[in-house]
Amino acid sequence: MSADRSPFRYLPWLARDVAKGPGALFLLVIAVVCGVLWRVSKGDQTVFPMTPDFIQAGILDSATIFAVLIAVGGIVSGDVHNGYYRAYFSKPIPVWWYYLQRWILGGIAVMLIPVVLGLGLSLVLGGGHGITTALLANIAVSFLLVGGAVLLLSVFTRRDWLIVFVVGSVQQAFASFVQMGVPVNPAVKTVWKALPPFHLLKPGGPMLEGRPLLHVVGYGLALTMIALVLLRVRPLGSGGRA
Amino acid sequence: MIAFDNAGKTYTSVLTRKRVDALAGFTIEMHRGEVIGIAGPNGAGKSTLISLLMGFLAPTVGSVRIDGASPRPWVEANGVGYLTELINLPPRWKVPHALERMANLAGVPARSRRARVDELMSQLGLVEHASKQVRHLSKGNLQRLGLAQALAGNADVIVLDEPTHGLDPLWTQRFRDVVADLRRPDRVIVIASHNLDELERLADRVAILNKGRLQRVVEHGTMSASPVSLAWRVVFEGDVPLDGALPTALRVDGRAGAWVVEASRTEMSGALAALLSTGAVLVECVPAESGLANAFRAAVQE
Repeated sequence: MSADRSPFRYLPWLARDVAKGPGALFLLVIAVVCGVLWRVSKGDQTVFPMTPDFIQAGILDSATIFAVLIAVGGIVSGDVHNGYYRAYFSKPIPVWWYYLQRWILGGIAVMLIPVVLGLGLSLVLGGGHGITTALLANIAVSFLLVGGAVLLLSVFTRRDWLIVFVVGSVQQAFASFVQMGVPVNPAVKTVWKALPPFHLLKPGGPMLEGRPLLHVVGYGLALTMIALVLLRVRPLGSGGRA
Repeated sequence: MIAFDNAGKTYTSVLTRKRVDALAGFTIEMHRGEVIGIAGPNGAGKSTLISLLMGFLAPTVGSVRIDGASPRPWVEANGVGYLTELINLPPRWKVPHALERMANLAGVPARSRRARVDELMSQLGLVEHASKQVRHLSKGNLQRLGLAQALAGNADVIVLDEPTHGLDPLWTQRFRDVVADLRRPDRVIVIASHNLDELERLADRVAILNKGRLQRVVEHGTMSASPVSLAWRVVFEGDVPLDGALPTALRVDGRAGAWVVEASRTEMSGALAALLSTGAVLVECVPAESGLANAFRAAVQE
């Protein structure tokens, strides 16, 4: 019996986990949203302009970060905390590769949200699906940055998703202050600029371009690469039985 | 094949900076074909030692090598048949599903995976639990599932941490048969256990740990033989006055017919010969405590 050492041999199982976990949750939420919109669309259609473009942008602008947190939150730390890693990584598979596959699948689940939501919207409302290149590109870079930050933090703590959520919220608030011209201490501004640029993410807005795009993509890639290097070199355990 | 060279692991508290040496100055070589036992009381460093061997922890000092490589890259390339003390798998996985996943990770090819899972389930008595989720298994059944997943691949290194934890006597015996079948000239089997009787039966050598340090290594040939006085349990048919036949014994307790005696083998043989020549009928004469147990007690008290 020659052993199967294909690096993708466990991918179908991981895909199944993502489909049954975050994937099923996303589907449920999309179904509920579409159901509610269908009910509303049967009533007074002048309440708001119910075009799929408008709805997609409105929902995904605020929901993308939550979707990413659900898709990859606790990705490493959950297995470490529950002790599953001992059974998984006694087997011949590199730790970093296992989690990279799981992370990418989480990204695919997030990227499918506008597609499925668009199809749902076109079904219940008609008049297009609202899936645009800008929307898909913005969601992809949002996943890279937010997902990369979660992956990195997950190497160290179970609060990965919470830290990203809090830092992201503070940054959004801070960006609003700066935009309003509120005077800010230069040291605080330097720290803010050094943190991941979550405030630049506007999934439902125009496509990110130029320096902001480079900033987000560069930061996201760096966080992801650091996380993968740490998973390669840093032991997962923290104690004899931990 | 496996070499611990002065390996040590120190944990430092983040808040108080207090340091605890979980393992210190541990040196041993484990060769292919051997079954190595690791014994020690709670907190002796057994689990830390295994975590170092699996590459889940890095040594603070010294080194651990498997075939000359660091443990983690070696495990990631070759895999280890590893049974944790309390196996943790996602609770909603069903038993065959869990084994199929672990066999997949272990590198069992798709065409033979189902057959391998069926074979393991049959070998470890899990067939009747096939419809159960992991969370609904009893401790003993969970342990058998843990052993099954450890054996899913065909690893050259098998590491079993407290393998009979939670097993009933029947399955404890079957486990010994399973491990005996695992012996192979190109394989190292490491068993960490509190159960000295189990180690005595299975292991070629037993490393005794206490307070993070290797106290001694007991070889198979010396586990059941000791040059010093041993405790014996002796039972005769009827009332036989063993105490009178052992005037120089260190200890003679018990009552007529059933005795616990601490004496050398020479003293014991002489006394038994004298009593048997007078017509006494011996029912049993067995060491009350094994050589390994003696060595363990001495090592832990040192």
